Amino acid sequence: MENNVVVLEQEAAENTSTALSMQIRNLKIAFDTPKGEYVAVKNINLQVKQGEIISIIGHSGCGKSTILNAIGGFIKPAKGEVVLNGKTVKGPGPDRGFVFQNYSLLPWMSVYKNIYEAVDSVLKEKTEAEKKATVELYINAVGLTPHKDKYPSQISGGMKQRVAIARAFAINPKFLLLDEPFGALDALTKGTMHVELLKLWNMDNRSKTIVMVTHDIEEAIFLSDRIVVMNDGPAATIREIVPVNLPRPRNKKEIVHQEEYMRTRDRLIGLLMDKVSIEDFK
Amino acid sequence: MKTTELISFPGRDNPLIRKLILSGLLTERKVASSTSPAVVAVSKYTLRTIFQTLKSVFYSLIGFGLLLLFWEIVSRVTKGELPTPAATLTVLWSLLTNPFYDNGPNDKGIAIQLWASMVRVFYGFGLGSLLAIPVGILIGTSETLKKILYPIIQILKPVSPLAWFPIGLVAFKSAPTATIFIIFITSLWPTLINTAFGVASIPADHKNVAKAFGFSKTKYLFKILLPYALPHIITGLRLSIGVAWLVIVAGEMLSGGTGIGFFVWDSWNGLSLEKVISAILIIGTVGLLFDKIFTYIEKLVTYGK
Repeated sequence: MENNVVVLEQEAAENTSTALSMQIRNLKIAFDTPKGEYVAVKNINLQVKQGEIISIIGHSGCGKSTILNAIGGFIKPAKGEVVLNGKTVKGPGPDRGFVFQNYSLLPWMSVYKNIYEAVDSVLKEKTEAEKKATVELYINAVGLTPHKDKYPSQISGGMKQRVAIARAFAINPKFLLLDEPFGALDALTKGTMHVELLKLWNMDNRSKTIVMVTHDIEEAIFLSDRIVVMNDGPAATIREIVPVNLPRPRNKKEIVHQEEYMRTRDRLIGLLMDKVSIEDFK
Repeated sequence: MKTTELISFPGRDNPLIRKLILSGLLTERKVASSTSPAVVAVSKYTLRTIFQTLKSVFYSLIGFGLLLLFWEIVSRVTKGELPTPAATLTVLWSLLTNPFYDNGPNDKGIAIQLWASMVRVFYGFGLGSLLAIPVGILIGTSETLKKILYPIIQILKPVSPLAWFPIGLVAFKSAPTATIFIIFITSLWPTLINTAFGVASIPADHKNVAKAFGFSKTKYLFKILLPYALPHIITGLRLSIGVAWLVIVAGEMLSGGTGIGFFVWDSWNGLSLEKVISAILIIGTVGLLFDKIFTYIEKLVTYGK
């Protein structure tokens, strides 16, 4: 019993002592357009510790997805760099699990196959039985075992997103990049999914670093350790990084009554909204 | 579980009605109204399907009837220049009832001729597809290759099959092989272009999945590219076999020997328009069959529907 506690403490100590796992240095992303260069984001600097959950929040078109795509390696920066565990990002890689905005499941494969192909591709050194066990484990973790043989067209949006999240976790990446993962879901499903996401994160002793793009203030507070608030684009920059000092595990029903929650929410609304009442239109 | 109580009604014990009920075409249902004794209700869906099928059969019969009428009128007006439907159908019947006879090189049964043509079509079309699908995939994947090859394709595609015949003769020194060659070279294009289109239109989402999860080239080919492009490829194959079947008749008229095209030409030389028209009907039917087979495969490989 005591030994266990010691081990846990050691692990915790290791986690906190870990060097920065993600560094974004002076990032600028620009696109060539017929009208010339379009700067999406610039001067982005961010340090993330291992096991942190970071939300990037901002209005539509502020380049939050662009930053995530740069971390994912889908977009090359015009300036600056993204460094993951000491290595500069050159392209996509299996150290990052990506959950796409529109689920991006392959429609000709069952739920099981969609996850299996990702696992089979990334965890090459594992045996067939281990791969299968991994797939089953994550399908079970998101509660889709009864639906594992269904095709994406046969399941709801919430289930599709569960598959996408299970697929991203199943390859055991160091980083999880979530691009508005719950944007298309109804409020009730969303609430359940938040808890499920944290459950998966807990399964690995909170060792995975998660960067999530969202435009939902409550979602950001419930999930994140820090919230990166963006200015409006074009050429968007980071406006402020708001820390969320709420202890984990968090309880959806309870945290809303805590002073820290209200303070954080006020701050975010202050940063993101100009008009908070019809009085403001006068 | 509610058990439905069946009320007897006139004809319920009729053997035909029983058979339909057993086969599932008719379902027995209790009707609430006590004044109506009938409980048989054909499930709406099956009823509608049967009705629709009967309706379309009826309309196509009207079409054929009108064609026969027009044909009859023309043959009467031309005083027998065009054989009458009745005379033609008699000849067609005699062809179909004795399809396998072989009285030497110039007199073979219709099935033997058809088979010879089909074998050529399958060789030409098969070889064409073996080339067209991989090249189509390459063109669909690489913008550079597309730029290099597309101009050539655009020039060669509209060339009549007959123009290729001399080239085939020179290359292969054999008329039957030259026929296969012209089928090969004309049935390439629809498959090639459709494959290239299918591959080029793979959504960025699917490609991103492959990138994010580090799919190998083989995995990308078999798990993303081919499943996505397959419906397009099959459509291409369907168009290609249509072209091949068009070309075979012309090819065999030139090459002679055997085949349905030769049969048409030989019948014309033998002054039997009845045989020519019979052959036309047979060629049309076989072409339709090919088309139906590929339409069926197309449905099989279309996912998510």
